[in-house]
Amino acid sequence: MNTQNQNGYMLLFRGNDWITSLSPEEKQKVTDQWMTWFKRLTDEGKAVAGNPLEREGKVVSGKNRVVSDGPFAESKEAIGGYFLLDVASMDEAVAIAQDCPGLPYGARVEVRPVAAECPVASELKRPAEFATA
Amino acid sequence: MNIQNENGQMLLFSSNEWYKELSHDEIQKVISQAKGWFDRLNAQGKIKGGQALARKGAIVSGKNGRLVSDGPFAESKEAIGGYLLLDVETLEEAIEIARTNPALAYGTSIEIRPVTDECPLDTWARESALQEQLANA
Repeated sequence: MNTQNQNGYMLLFRGNDWITSLSPEEKQKVTDQWMTWFKRLTDEGKAVAGNPLEREGKVVSGKNRVVSDGPFAESKEAIGGYFLLDVASMDEAVAIAQDCPGLPYGARVEVRPVAAECPVASELKRPAEFATA
Repeated sequence: MNIQNENGQMLLFSSNEWYKELSHDEIQKVISQAKGWFDRLNAQGKIKGGQALARKGAIVSGKNGRLVSDGPFAESKEAIGGYLLLDVETLEEAIEIARTNPALAYGTSIEIRPVTDECPLDTWARESALQEQLANA
């Protein structure tokens, strides 16, 4: 897979559960490695943004706009943070994801191409293209 | 709860491809509603950034990232379809903004998460040190 994408890629770090199983020394080690990794990518111009997210938050859903709690703290699926990468191919984004220091401890990294426009708007164009074909 | 946060709040949108079931006119309507919603927030200076994500990608896991798998991102209700970074200080304000999003009526759900500049690992280390101090006090 070598999809070119000039809009860049987003890395989503999944899983907040693995953090709690680390010893204080391991936590320090992973934190240092993570900071070094991000700094290197920033210096190389490959990371343009990145932030951790708090292990709390809310979810709004449904027609009645119901507000509910996480769970974010110990969830395997919860997103713990993200990087925005300015790289042109999926292969390069995946190779960067493979350097994530959390991987040996059970973290997972989702690699997603950033879209040029909203997928809903793209959908709107499809029937139009079909009609003129 | 009224958490102040100068790093802003992130909205993560997830849904299945609900728009594929709508008619052309309905899609047009939702798009103009969503555009109005976005433009208003933008004019108020509440948007720091935001992008849509393509409904494809990969998941990297395992030691040294040896496992690389595909989605599924297309049909999954859990898949993140995009994000918006809000320049608002409280979770409450971010929730109020999220609740006015027009796509909620079509099954989209919105996760609202405070952005931090401190790694959660650091926070955790600080909290456990504090607990230890309290236990020893």
